[in-house]
Amino acid sequence: MFLYYLRLSALSYRRNPVLSSLMVLAVAIGVGAYMVVYTLNYFMGGDPIPQKSSVLYHLQIDSGNPDDTFEPPSQLTWLDATALLNADNNYRQTASSKFNAVVEPEGDGARPFSINGRGNFGDFFPMFDAHFLYGGGWDRGADEGNQQVIVLSRELNDRLFGGVNSVGQTVNLQGNRFEITGVLDNWQPFPKFYDVNNGPFDSIEDAFVPWNLITSLPLSRGGNTNCWKAPVGTGLQAFLNSECVWIQYWIELPSTQDRENYLDFLDNYTRQQQELGRLLRPVNNGLFNVNQWLVREEVLPQETQILAALAAMLLAVCLLNTVGLLLSKFLGKSGEIGLRQALGAHKGSLFTQHLVEAGFIGLIGGLLGLGVAKLGLWGIEGLIGDLMTTDWMQLNPVLITVTLLLSVGSTIVAGLYPIWRACNVNPAIHLKTQ
Amino acid sequence: MLTMQNVSKVFRTEVVETHALRDFSLTVAEGEFITITGPSGCGKTTFLNIAGLLETYTSGQYLLDGQDVSRLNDFQRARLRNQKIGFIFQSFNLMPDLNLFDNIDVPLRYRGMKAAERRQRIESALDSVGLLSRKKHIPSQLSGGQQQRVAIARALVGEPRFLLADEPTGNLDSNTAFGVMELLQEINDRGTTIIMVTHDKSLAGKSTRNIHILDGRIQQCTDDTHLVRIPA
Repeated sequence: MFLYYLRLSALSYRRNPVLSSLMVLAVAIGVGAYMVVYTLNYFMGGDPIPQKSSVLYHLQIDSGNPDDTFEPPSQLTWLDATALLNADNNYRQTASSKFNAVVEPEGDGARPFSINGRGNFGDFFPMFDAHFLYGGGWDRGADEGNQQVIVLSRELNDRLFGGVNSVGQTVNLQGNRFEITGVLDNWQPFPKFYDVNNGPFDSIEDAFVPWNLITSLPLSRGGNTNCWKAPVGTGLQAFLNSECVWIQYWIELPSTQDRENYLDFLDNYTRQQQELGRLLRPVNNGLFNVNQWLVREEVLPQETQILAALAAMLLAVCLLNTVGLLLSKFLGKSGEIGLRQALGAHKGSLFTQHLVEAGFIGLIGGLLGLGVAKLGLWGIEGLIGDLMTTDWMQLNPVLITVTLLLSVGSTIVAGLYPIWRACNVNPAIHLKTQ
Repeated sequence: MLTMQNVSKVFRTEVVETHALRDFSLTVAEGEFITITGPSGCGKTTFLNIAGLLETYTSGQYLLDGQDVSRLNDFQRARLRNQKIGFIFQSFNLMPDLNLFDNIDVPLRYRGMKAAERRQRIESALDSVGLLSRKKHIPSQLSGGQQQRVAIARALVGEPRFLLADEPTGNLDSNTAFGVMELLQEINDRGTTIIMVTHDKSLAGKSTRNIHILDGRIQQCTDDTHLVRIPA
């Protein structure tokens, strides 16, 4: 019967094309607008690493100014990061921070170009499930030995080596030769949770090197830096010994017990530092898993939530219009409904027939809504394309399915009252007057 | 097969009560051809709607094949309509955007019949009214008489026990009306019980029993012991 009802729905659309098209348009606009905002929320507020997000923790050590009441800083000082890294535990962990460098390609006529890089520990790659096209990351020995090794992004490997396996070859970075241990595949956590201080929606870095090299070579440090008091003295060492925060620090704690143990360790460390005259605020350490960290750092802008509410209201208005139009359409079919009852249809089958018809309108509205959503996303891409990468702003199969389900589902809900009214008319009246 | 005992129907609004049927009692036997006559508003159509389970009644008892229909729910009433009753209307009531085949298919769809059997029945029904060659036509491409014949084919396709016809010739010219009446008589001759509302006394004379209604009551009942059915 479903196919029969579907055919009747198509006939009904053809019989009343203007009214039906108005409904489709109302649904398309409402669903399309909602899906634009939903798409933004879906990607910007999604879990970037669902398989591990509950065991990866970003550290919070409150190294802020004891004379103010600001929130604890989001990053760590070099003093704290190195102290924690030197602590003897077996957890995977990594400090990381951005750097900028100039790559000097081999070959005649090849011109140098600048890249964004990241200093991190070898644990970074397995912790964050980085996907490799060739090779892999480096081991702890490379971290401890300040070995000049490097992992390239796929794009940089394409640019330097034409996409072939470059593992074992070298690349010249800022006058220093680095041996390539791996090339990342199309790996793009979104949001880029491991560093939300420096563009949570930016592309991953072009190259990754051992973190210690940022300070030992040194490389040109980049990214967000906050200091509540000026470094004492000048030069790199003075900066490193300061209370400036610029380092992201992640640790993988597989169990709740590990988390509690590590938090105790952090508290003890803080008390020890307080005895030495640092970390003068009350102990306020924290371990935030990936999703908690994204919320704490307000990665999903509040504006998108307001937009979501507005889009939901627009969808509601469009659906209310659809209710009115469906009421008009279905009550206009009272004669047919009465006739079908006379010929043996019970109210349940008539109800189902018209639910299918409402769903049919919703489906066409949803297909058109996909176009509206695509247009909306293009518009947003044009607006914010200069501020962040917008490659992710695509309607993937999940979002297409959500759009169609939302459209069909909401139109069916909008149709419930009109259908109920239409199916409860007295057939006898309409049979005489039809 | 159809027994009504003291059936009354009252339509109520906030300001007025209308007694459409009053203590209406009637028994219809298998194979009868009954015509219902009476002035406009006397309750003919109300009786037909109650008989066809399209309308409920206010009091009394209605047994269809011995079954008290007041106890039936919507699903059971729909099934009875589908399996035992065929309707023919004055204005044909064909669905304008369905072709003849699909119009006749409607009652069979609700019976959940398989496609091959539906096709066979539809074509046979269309053939019986002489319109098989036009099965892909839509109703607006037919004359009034042809449309009514399609409506009769639709009413018959489910092989109902009885036909309820509400002024089936009311919208037809006299020649066409005669043809339709002839068809109904043939159907009756094959054993289908027919109850037909009509204003036309000449058509009433062709039935086996005529019931005249006035103000919701049976005024006169003339059965075939008094009325000679005029051959078609």
